[in-house]
Amino acid sequence: MQSWNDSAPIYQQLADRLAVQLLDGAPPEGEALPSVRQLAGQYLINPLTVSRALQALVDKGLVESRRGQGMYVTAGARDRLRRTERTRFLEREWPALRARLGRLGISSADLDWKDTQ
Amino acid sequence: MNLIEANELTLRYGKKTALERVSFSIPKGRVYGLLGHNGAGKTSLMKALVGLLPTDGQLSVLGLDPRRQRTELLSQLCYIPDVAVLPRWARVHELITLMSGLQPRFSADRARQLLKRTSVGLDDKVKSLSKGMVVQAHLALIAAIDAKLMILDEPTLGLDVMSRKGFYELLIDEWCDGERTVLISTHQVEEVETLLSDVLMLDEGRLVLNISLQDMDQRFVALSHDPAQADAVAAAHPLLRYRQTGGRGAAIFDGTPPEHVMGLGERIRPNLVDLFMALTRKPALAPSQS
Repeated sequence: MQSWNDSAPIYQQLADRLAVQLLDGAPPEGEALPSVRQLAGQYLINPLTVSRALQALVDKGLVESRRGQGMYVTAGARDRLRRTERTRFLEREWPALRARLGRLGISSADLDWKDTQ
Repeated sequence: MNLIEANELTLRYGKKTALERVSFSIPKGRVYGLLGHNGAGKTSLMKALVGLLPTDGQLSVLGLDPRRQRTELLSQLCYIPDVAVLPRWARVHELITLMSGLQPRFSADRARQLLKRTSVGLDDKVKSLSKGMVVQAHLALIAAIDAKLMILDEPTLGLDVMSRKGFYELLIDEWCDGERTVLISTHQVEEVETLLSDVLMLDEGRLVLNISLQDMDQRFVALSHDPAQADAVAAAHPLLRYRQTGGRGAAIFDGTPPEHVMGLGERIRPNLVDLFMALTRKPALAPSQS
């Protein structure tokens, strides 16, 4: 069955997963997200919880509701998402990661991160 | 109008109390989990809801009195009891014919459409099917009844994980449309947590929790903390203390504890399994009553 952790409410974890997919271009901007029922069936999550997750994405301006047609990815959603994810990484994750690299004695020369550019 | 209105339901078998002043209401469009250990009163409550057991108190299901209007009620709801069996000699298409004769709201077309989602064939004999396939066939037959309310008593008991997953997929995809409600009892709490919109928790016949999952996230606060803070956290009287995987301590509070306690760790999601442990007594640990 699907694995969810205890770090955050389920709707938040689903919203995060959907956001990661948006960042990868699935679905692309201007395209429709799967329906609430499709997502509920796919993730085995209550439809109300799915609706909350989608609402969280609406609140972030990443998707918009079109009356009677469902949810669509907004124009500029990927850029906006990438910016907030970059900020989050640099402010929250990087300090901890750098400290860990330091403890392990790993220098920039040991890393092949440039390959991902 | 609520689909179920229960007020002060009490049921005793001799000296044993199966239900003690249980009150709740269930609206449409929800997935209600009825959680409790074995013997907590889940089956008794479900039998009372469909008119198979008499209780004290007031009870209305689909606007009907289950005891006085049982026949009418049973034609309007879907119910799979805990001892559900399909006749072993029958072929699936014969069961469809049988249901068509018994259930005025049953749609044979809908049943065949639902069965297509399973690996059960219309010509299969029940006795040739695995336990998981029988339960899925049963759900497909029951879900083909045009009703507002489905009551399932421990439907996935004894099924392997793939069968349970298939069962829940069928239920979420084909039954939950925002209008219909299902009440499902289980003690496999971790599996149904994400499926539920609401929880009813029974402990020794008493309703110890009646809450939506959305409100649960607000009301109960779980705190993950360093083992060194264990005593300080314990002093704040949480409902439950436990150890997370990875060795960190965790505690669940009913309501937000004072700021100095929150400062001892990070807030995490209170999961239903931990809350279940906090609010119910494990039968194995309960003191003997005799």
